[in-house]
Amino acid sequence: MTRGERHAGALRLERMIGRVLRAGVTTSSVCLASGLLWTMAEGTSAPARLLLQTGIVVLLATPVARVVVSVAEYVVERDWGFATLTAIVLLELLASALAALVFNRRL
Amino acid sequence: MPAVTPALAAIIFSAGAVSGTLGALLGLGGGVFLVPFLNLVLGFPFGVAAAISLTTVIATSSTVSAGRAGRQLINMRLGMLLEVATAGGSFLGGITAHLIAQSLLQRLFGIVAAVVAMIMLTRLRRRNVILDPAADPGVLGGRYYEDESATTVTYRVRRLPVAIGASFLAGNVSSLLGIGGGIVKVPILNAWCGIPLRAAAATSAFMIGVTATAGGVIYYGRGQLEPTLAAAAVLGVQIGSWGGMRFGATASAKWLKALMAVVLFVVSAMMFARGGR
Repeated sequence: MTRGERHAGALRLERMIGRVLRAGVTTSSVCLASGLLWTMAEGTSAPARLLLQTGIVVLLATPVARVVVSVAEYVVERDWGFATLTAIVLLELLASALAALVFNRRL
Repeated sequence: MPAVTPALAAIIFSAGAVSGTLGALLGLGGGVFLVPFLNLVLGFPFGVAAAISLTTVIATSSTVSAGRAGRQLINMRLGMLLEVATAGGSFLGGITAHLIAQSLLQRLFGIVAAVVAMIMLTRLRRRNVILDPAADPGVLGGRYYEDESATTVTYRVRRLPVAIGASFLAGNVSSLLGIGGGIVKVPILNAWCGIPLRAAAATSAFMIGVTATAGGVIYYGRGQLEPTLAAAAVLGVQIGSWGGMRFGATASAKWLKALMAVVLFVVSAMMFARGGR
């Protein structure tokens, strides 16, 4: 791979990551803001709680989605070193999610 | 779990706005300010404060990095390599947080923050930059255009094992104390690894989303995350970091370093005061 190709790939990944982060953060902020306003106006209700929980889950999922996009892009570019590194990060995030399930006493 | 009232939500929203502004300016998650506020001022249990703070760290990281993507200030390759260490440290911190005495951690944190602040002050004028823009930054180095000096800044990454070790520690501290971990990483990346402060801060801000998620998910699973209060904090931080980012582009690197050192000394004193009780 030439330096130019690597540079173009890096720029494409950076823009893609920017879009993923913006989409995630916008979605979660809209959910959190409407859930919060709803709760403040009328007290807790099932739909307000659902909005708040959705906002939190989307927020937590956004960095995970960013890592997934990175793994995919490095595989497409056949940059196996960085594909491996980002895949390890993804596994670590999945380990955390697994630990969260284990710690969840409601299960 | 604290009772949710509109007044409490408003207070947390405001605290989030202040933390977000300072966090975006300094390349920290903002949790450094929010955790002591929630824990000391509002009297929330430490775990509840940490959980709320971690969600704001994720929001700050995502917002700030989305705004910067495509401008090459974030060193994505270095960030992704170091994330292996931060996420590992954060995972370990998340599963052990409830086993360790907080007072011990707070005192340790106080020492680390003070040492890092002194490093920042002694290296205020150092730039660690290759001035020839045609020089090869290597696989992990970077190159970005700096508005302040109207030049292209090129740098190579030195002492990679130090950067990896610092990242692991940052990840660990992140999930134990509910902060982003930039407080540990940024000064070390800047002072010892040859990375200009602006690039170190941008790369750290990019990484802390993943770091805080690795820890935050575990707090969420434990049921320590109050969604209404987290929403108020996150929205406050969003607005604050939006403002901080605009101001940060015009602030000088030297001024940022000095401000960061002051912040670290204050955080250190607060941690000692709390941990010593």
